[in-house]
Amino acid sequence: MIELKKLTKKYDEFTAVKELDLTIETGGFFGLLGPNGAGKSTTIGMLSTLFLPTEGEILIDGERLTRKNTVLKRKISVVTQEYSMRQDMTIEEVMEYQGRLYFVPKKERREKTQELLEFCDLMDYRKRTVRKLSGGMKRKLMVCRALLTEPEILLLDEPTAGMDALARRQMWNLLKRLNRNHLTILLTTHYMEEAEILCDRVGLMDRGRLQEVDSPRAMIERLGCYAVDQVSEEQTRSFFFQTQEEAIRYLSGRKDLASLRNTTLEDVFLEKVGKYLERH
Amino acid sequence: MGIVTVLWEKWVEFRRDFYKITLAAMIAPLMYILVFGMGIQTISHGQPYLQFLIPGVVALTTMNGSFNAIAQNLNVQRLYEKAFDQVMISPTPLWQFIAGQIIGGSLRGIYAGCVIILLVLPIGVRLCFNGWSFLIMFLNGAVFSTLGVVVSFYARTHTDVPRFSNYVIMPMAYLCNTFFASDSIPHGLREVIQLLPLSQASSMIRSIANREPFSYAGIGILAAYLAVLMVLAFSFLYKKKNL
Repeated sequence: MIELKKLTKKYDEFTAVKELDLTIETGGFFGLLGPNGAGKSTTIGMLSTLFLPTEGEILIDGERLTRKNTVLKRKISVVTQEYSMRQDMTIEEVMEYQGRLYFVPKKERREKTQELLEFCDLMDYRKRTVRKLSGGMKRKLMVCRALLTEPEILLLDEPTAGMDALARRQMWNLLKRLNRNHLTILLTTHYMEEAEILCDRVGLMDRGRLQEVDSPRAMIERLGCYAVDQVSEEQTRSFFFQTQEEAIRYLSGRKDLASLRNTTLEDVFLEKVGKYLERH
Repeated sequence: MGIVTVLWEKWVEFRRDFYKITLAAMIAPLMYILVFGMGIQTISHGQPYLQFLIPGVVALTTMNGSFNAIAQNLNVQRLYEKAFDQVMISPTPLWQFIAGQIIGGSLRGIYAGCVIILLVLPIGVRLCFNGWSFLIMFLNGAVFSTLGVVVSFYARTHTDVPRFSNYVIMPMAYLCNTFFASDSIPHGLREVIQLLPLSQASSMIRSIANREPFSYAGIGILAAYLAVLMVLAFSFLYKKKNL
């Protein structure tokens, strides 16, 4: 179980994360959503010990996470937002280095590397240096690298950014499978569809504060399961309804261009965050 | 063991860039020996200048080899490639990571020094390099590898490391008992320069090379530098709020 208690991170006068309280149960799949600069990556940075909190603490299974706590660090793997790999190493060397850093036994390291590279279609490129890989391949390699160590907790900071649609689907399937095997996952993403499909709970972050935590379904139901998009020359506006009948009734009275659809997590996000942006 | 992991990483790098590393280690010291030692043939301290110069060049090559192997590389990993993040996140104890960097850097320094010793063999100078010489070369390399670790950690941009090299490493290479004895430097400055690690290493390697007794205090001074720099490196890694 991951517990964030009054977690705060300040950079001089700027507060990136403010008094964040959050609990993620073992085996949970949690999505942290928010606009750019909301504090998602800083939160992941603190969970991976790259940043030390200004105040508050992080507990993993009741034990305090620090840079010196190597036992806890062994349980965590991170896929950072940036391609954090040596550019002059080959794919094989990157995996070998990761295995060694996490003290994975040699035989297991080799077998798991082969399995993961084959799964991610990187086996044929294993002698290629990171510098020569495409963005999507680098992203896949980072995920392979994180999974090599068989972590109990996986932190993913926008793991599918730069991936094509097919690779993204493959990644979703992989993450779902891992989560079914009780891997605890914390994900930040800009793709709302991704969070809606994968996460059992999501948190909306805004200006360093966690505004709302719930399941994607519950958030959608609160807003209204049906959406009517009303298109005009200036803008597209969405209206939300609890029942299909209400939506159809609203729609039938209109003469302008409008359409009915199911509400998505993106609608929830736009409603919450968009309202803030409108106010500022 | 994390130290072995870092040494493995250094070995991968060395194997891949073997020719580049070897050539880079050779060029400048060879120029010094050719120009100052063989081109301008002089007598120093009653013996051919080469006799004086070679131990100094070996010491400065060890310094350069070690510092360059760590400082720029680690700086790029930290600021540009972000590969250092992965080490910070991993369960490898950070002290083992630093120890690995220091040992790896020292070995690169010794390698560079050995290349010079091998290259000057045909010249026929009668110099002695024994176990003590290599121990001092290792210690000198360890001091400058650790300095490389500290500089790369405290550097804010990619240009900070070359700048530090220009301001600190390069003057040391010329002044610290390498090309001329530091006795001839004016009083005041002389004492400061004589306390610098390269002065100690040059002096000890030269004494051994000329089969003269050397001061063990020099080893103590190098060890003290190493201890202080290690404390700086550890405090950065464990206490720095944002890496």
